[in-house]
Amino acid sequence: MADSATHVELRGISKRFGTTQAVDEASLAIKRGSIHGLVGENGAGKSTIGKIISGVYSADSGSMLVNGRPESFRSPRQAFGVGITTIAQELSLLKDRSVADNVFCGVEATRFGFISRRETHRRFAELTADTGIRLNSEPTVGSLSVAEQQLVEILRAAARGAEFVIMDEPSARLSGTERDQLHRLLREMRGRGATVLLISHFLQEVLDLSDAVTVMRDGRIVRTAQARDETADSLIEAMIGRQLASNYPPKALRTPSGESEQDPIPALRVRGLRWPGLGAEHGLDLDVHSGEIVGIAGLVGAGRTEFVRAVYGADPRVEGEIQIAGDPLIRRSRPMLGGGLWRNRPNPTHAIRHGLGLIPESRRDQGLLPDRSLRENVSLPHLKRTTRAGIVARRVERILVVAAVAGAEVRGGGLETPIHLLSGGNQQKSLFARWMVPGLEVLIADEPTRGVDVGSKRSIYELITSAASRGLAVLIVSSELEELIGICHRIVVMRAGQFVAEFTHPDLDEAQILRQAFGGEPTLSFSDRTAGSK
Amino acid sequence: MNAKPFATLARYGIVWVTLALFLALAFTTDGFLTGPNLRNVLDQQATLLIAASVATLTMIAGGFDVSISAVAVAAPLVALRIENATGSVVLAILAGCVFGLLVGVVNGSVVSFAKINSFITTLATSFIVFGIGFLVSDRSIMRPESEEYRNIARTRVAELTTATWISLGVVAIAWITLSATRFGRHVYATGGNLEAAKLAGVRTGRIIVLAFALSGLAAGLAGVVASSRAISATPSDDFSFVFGVIAAIVVGGTSIAGGTGAVWRTLLGALFIAFMVNGFNLHQIDPIWQRIIQGVVILVAVAADAWSRNRRT
Repeated sequence: MADSATHVELRGISKRFGTTQAVDEASLAIKRGSIHGLVGENGAGKSTIGKIISGVYSADSGSMLVNGRPESFRSPRQAFGVGITTIAQELSLLKDRSVADNVFCGVEATRFGFISRRETHRRFAELTADTGIRLNSEPTVGSLSVAEQQLVEILRAAARGAEFVIMDEPSARLSGTERDQLHRLLREMRGRGATVLLISHFLQEVLDLSDAVTVMRDGRIVRTAQARDETADSLIEAMIGRQLASNYPPKALRTPSGESEQDPIPALRVRGLRWPGLGAEHGLDLDVHSGEIVGIAGLVGAGRTEFVRAVYGADPRVEGEIQIAGDPLIRRSRPMLGGGLWRNRPNPTHAIRHGLGLIPESRRDQGLLPDRSLRENVSLPHLKRTTRAGIVARRVERILVVAAVAGAEVRGGGLETPIHLLSGGNQQKSLFARWMVPGLEVLIADEPTRGVDVGSKRSIYELITSAASRGLAVLIVSSELEELIGICHRIVVMRAGQFVAEFTHPDLDEAQILRQAFGGEPTLSFSDRTAGSK
Repeated sequence: MNAKPFATLARYGIVWVTLALFLALAFTTDGFLTGPNLRNVLDQQATLLIAASVATLTMIAGGFDVSISAVAVAAPLVALRIENATGSVVLAILAGCVFGLLVGVVNGSVVSFAKINSFITTLATSFIVFGIGFLVSDRSIMRPESEEYRNIARTRVAELTTATWISLGVVAIAWITLSATRFGRHVYATGGNLEAAKLAGVRTGRIIVLAFALSGLAAGLAGVVASSRAISATPSDDFSFVFGVIAAIVVGGTSIAGGTGAVWRTLLGALFIAFMVNGFNLHQIDPIWQRIIQGVVILVAVAADAWSRNRRT
């Protein structure tokens, strides 16, 4: 069965975690020198497969052959011994050490036990020449962008002579150009004879890059086929086991032309917003009306997250005015002695009280209390409403949470289930549930579907659309342009800390938006345009 | 086979272990299951319980307060200075508690606004507070003037000492505060994920200040109760009290990483250690061995916490 071209082969691999069968009798052959895509919804077992191959987990049953030899790893170190390495979703680098230190961590060039700087430099130069990765060896890894950090990880794998690289969602946190760069790199790695197992939610990426694609569902392998014989639709069908009419719910119609007459006061009005570190001269302006879904497109680093965090008061702002339904969130900042530090410092508590909600970029780092229950995670921002004389009224809290959880369709656990036990998609939905409460005027969602499976994505889109149709104003930041085009009424493009263009449904053209995001040609800035229209 | 019953078993591990130890001692050791012995155990644990039940909040909020020792040493010296000067026991108690509260506010403010690691902060303030203790007492042992001062801890009410009653009261207040109030929820949120708590509208700075303030207050009260039991207070720079406090919290199963834990856990942790020591004493086991075994028990508790954490990710 396994010819010499097979690099890694799994035979009937099963793995169980508690009550869940994460991987069920999976068999898979990965050819040497190929890019092999692995797709499936969250919880389908893709990452588990990756972790079994790389020695993080050991399989309960079944066998694995590497280069035709049976292997069973008990640690990543053992897998490493035969050239298998992982570049994980969450990067694991030493942030305070230099690029070179990270690349050679554990395989340092030494002379008599001392690090040889000259040898390190020589090897680093050799590596960068070999891989075509242009990276300076000196800066600390913490000072690099996420994309650059990923390159460090790839260099690290190369430094150890890895021939089989497992990439788990490598592009989830990258912007367009960075993604292209990564793709080029992966192809080059393949060209040099390395094998890549590519685990990704980005179907187009998988189809473009891979030679073969394996689809998983509920821990089982649905099929493995040549990438050229698959389409995004065929993959989705196989992943969810049913046909999907469309990825996006129909857009509730809005007439942007009549805005000034029928809806004079926007739900969210931002004027002249500046935050520390914003290089641009102008402050930023943006209006989001009730019932409207507005997207902010742009490259990572364009300032999209900084903008929404400044609006929400998560980070300090230099100046600017924010109004929620005409009600100023905070006065224009004015230097005041002593008291200024306290009184004018914006904070999320303030924003929440005015009916503003934020779903942050990273649910793990900024969103959830992993050990606490679904109930506590959802009610956290609203405890004031459920508290009588300092004591949380459980009954009132329960009513609030039950409605919110039902509204966001969170499944996979009861109200008392610790939230870390829910799937990624349901964790994300529980962050939506947090804001499915009466009185919310504006919802800001930063990367609302990051690391979420196809099925959950669709229900998050439906959630956003139906919330907007009930009158909520929604502001979305996303690196997935397709998703913005799919659900937004209006898209503003951000580049280098400024809004540079605005597109309104139905004229949401992917190519034009991208051109603006990358800064192809000079255009009116969005703030100029609004100023001019007055 | 199924992970669920095991998880439940592990989650309430401290309950089973304390119960088992209690039963084992009750059946094997003469003199353990007697009123006087158990009352004595409770009385001896009173000061530790007062400090530890509130320090549990601080630990859950993500803080580590080692200044408990210094406050427990210096607060009764402040209290006795006031008592010696005014003759008022009430003022004395108040002074001891307010002193602890102030130290706590300083600790919390430095931790939350200067963003300095709480262990280092409270280690530094510990030295300052120990120093204040020496200053206030003129480097000598202090005794109350009135007979009344000893009554703070030593009055018997319904068979139990007032020290025991005070400790049970503090445990109850801490328990309710943590499990049923909004402040308690915010404590869990702050320690569980600081950034997420902020974005959910929790004023994490205030929560941290308040948590340290309460822990200082409780340490002050614990010191006053201890001095009433001893009918004296001595300046020193002895850190050992806080180690007992942390041991009780950790053995109970509250995570030193913050975000999880409970006051009832600390209560059981303290009782477990107390029963163990009591059993050793009744069996006349060499105190040197007692220390070694206690150390092993704490290691096992922390290892169990780390192990259950690693399993879930």
